[in-house]
Amino acid sequence: MSAIVVEGVSKRFRLQTDKAHSVKELITRRDRSADEQHFWALKDVSLEIPEGSMYALVGHNGSGKSTLLRCIAGIYQPTEGSVSATGRMSTLLELGAGFHPDLTGRENVYMNATILGMGKKQIDASFDKIVEFAGVEDFIDSPVKIYSSGMYVRLGFSVAVHVDPEILIVDEVIAVGDAEFQRKCFDHLFELRRKGTTIVVVTHGLGTVQSMCDGAAWLDHGVLQMTGTGSEVAAAYLQQVNEAERRERDLAEAAVEEEPTAPSGAPAPRRAEDVRIDRVEFVGADGVPSNFAIHREPLTIRVRYDAVRPVDRPVVGLAIHSASDVHLTGTNTKIDGYQIDRVQGAGYVDFYMDQLHLTPGEYEVTVAISDEFVQHNYDRRDREFRLSVREGTHQAPEGLTDLLGAWTNHQSD
Amino acid sequence: MSSPATVWSYRTLIVNLAQRELKSRYKKSFLGWAWSLINPATTLAIYSVVFGVFFGSEAPVAGNGRTTAFALYLFCGLVTWNFFSGTVNTSISSFTTSGPLLTRTYFPPECPVVAGMATVAIQACLELLILIGFLVAVANISWTVVFVLPVFLLLACFAFGIGLVLGLGNIRYRDVNYLVGIGMQVVFYLTPIVYSLDNPSVAEHTAVVKFLKLNPMTTFVNAMRRSLWELVPPTAVEWAVMSAWATVSLVGGWMIFSRFAPRVIEEL
Repeated sequence: MSAIVVEGVSKRFRLQTDKAHSVKELITRRDRSADEQHFWALKDVSLEIPEGSMYALVGHNGSGKSTLLRCIAGIYQPTEGSVSATGRMSTLLELGAGFHPDLTGRENVYMNATILGMGKKQIDASFDKIVEFAGVEDFIDSPVKIYSSGMYVRLGFSVAVHVDPEILIVDEVIAVGDAEFQRKCFDHLFELRRKGTTIVVVTHGLGTVQSMCDGAAWLDHGVLQMTGTGSEVAAAYLQQVNEAERRERDLAEAAVEEEPTAPSGAPAPRRAEDVRIDRVEFVGADGVPSNFAIHREPLTIRVRYDAVRPVDRPVVGLAIHSASDVHLTGTNTKIDGYQIDRVQGAGYVDFYMDQLHLTPGEYEVTVAISDEFVQHNYDRRDREFRLSVREGTHQAPEGLTDLLGAWTNHQSD
Repeated sequence: MSSPATVWSYRTLIVNLAQRELKSRYKKSFLGWAWSLINPATTLAIYSVVFGVFFGSEAPVAGNGRTTAFALYLFCGLVTWNFFSGTVNTSISSFTTSGPLLTRTYFPPECPVVAGMATVAIQACLELLILIGFLVAVANISWTVVFVLPVFLLLACFAFGIGLVLGLGNIRYRDVNYLVGIGMQVVFYLTPIVYSLDNPSVAEHTAVVKFLKLNPMTTFVNAMRRSLWELVPPTAVEWAVMSAWATVSLVGGWMIFSRFAPRVIEEL
């Protein structure tokens, strides 16, 4: 069953200008509708969010994610289409929304919880939990204007999740808290989902989407690009982001190169990135590349690259997903403390394992080469390389990975 | 569109909004709540001196046949006026103060206006109690005091409807705030508060008096003065006029508000 059904929702905003705000304009402009500027924040978006799932909205800034959240929450009325949501809803759309700076934390908790639809007795009952979760016990009777932004958002989040919602709507606010609190938040969200709460989040953390969300939708300029499982959408979105960045870079470079001579209108020559991943080989104990590997036997993942131009201190990374979509592991040369000084021309990087931990099955390998700060990917091949792991002489354990441990028994007689 | 029932289901929120407003209003002030009385007391004192002493305005003889204290007569009108102007002004400001809330969580947008009116009503009750205290002291009190309540309720409906529309208008056109500031001053003097329509020097301008009687606030103030000063029940005509204004304003205001609020609030 769907907790939230969004059907053909479009949302148009009037562009606000300073001028349009006076009565004089109202009287002097005859045909106001003609020169009113409009902006479509959402265009014909339809999606269904199943009950009890964790659903993510991804997309770049200004893609309409927050507008969609507000439409779902009932704050905005869609210009076209309809939204139906069944269940008690709690929203956390902005850091400490509705906190009055002059009132104490205690007063604001009551205030906020009431807005979210809680009765006084309910608040009394969960007050201590709310404060404890937010970790602001010492400041609860101080006005919230002295709170740090972290405390602010913690208290806000704490109230929103403790009102026991059936649908929880969270905008990109959790990112404000520190790492420990973020983990606590996600643990709590997970707990809520386990209890059957439908959770809709806007997030830029694709890792979160991949690993935690049952479903996701990707919006671009108000248009729904795709819906699917969390990892599908995250992968597609990421790929698009990388491609867009590469295109932009190509264009920029082409422009620089063409400037002196090329006549305008000539197609920009496509340039390869500085470093390209040629292919990936899986090399077993026999030293011959193949597309399968054997459990508990040595394996080298060989990343063949071609550096068009010399690049200093690149970082090579790889990740492995199971066929069942679980992100098993991901590492890179930086994490493992190995520095590649410089790459130039063709070459390869080896990742050697003396015993393959993966249990027999199908896997997908992602490989990427990025700059030394792991900020920019020169090239990234998302789950393009298939690896079949086969059973070797040792019987494989259950699950996806072999811990390679050894059992011993110690009698305490 | 929020029905009155929806608004009612959010009554805890309304109470909380009103509490928040009251609590935050006098935070960090030394005299605190006393300010809510010092303010009207000062107005009353100024008007009493200026109009009662300098201009020599006289109050008609009160219901007990003796009292003619102009300050008390003035107070009757002033309490009524303060409630009206307070409600309209709070409606306008309540959208500005609760704007961040309205754009981040869903609740009927009428709630902050109702909460604002509640705070004004509390203030009005305080002033009324003090006024009644004085009236008891000068022995000018009668059972007609019970009519104060229905008159105030009708006035509340009247002011609420106007407040809803003006509050909404102010979001899109900030001019409303300034216009209301001026308009309130004009209407204040168009209402027989600092003067009495029965005063011979006023009554001789019959055309003006006719015009002033069209002002709905004139009826509300007169009805209050009947109950508290003349100690007679308001006339049937007054009841009819007040009920009509209250209904038109409330229904009309609510309809306009329901129609435009969802779109306008996005601009907060």
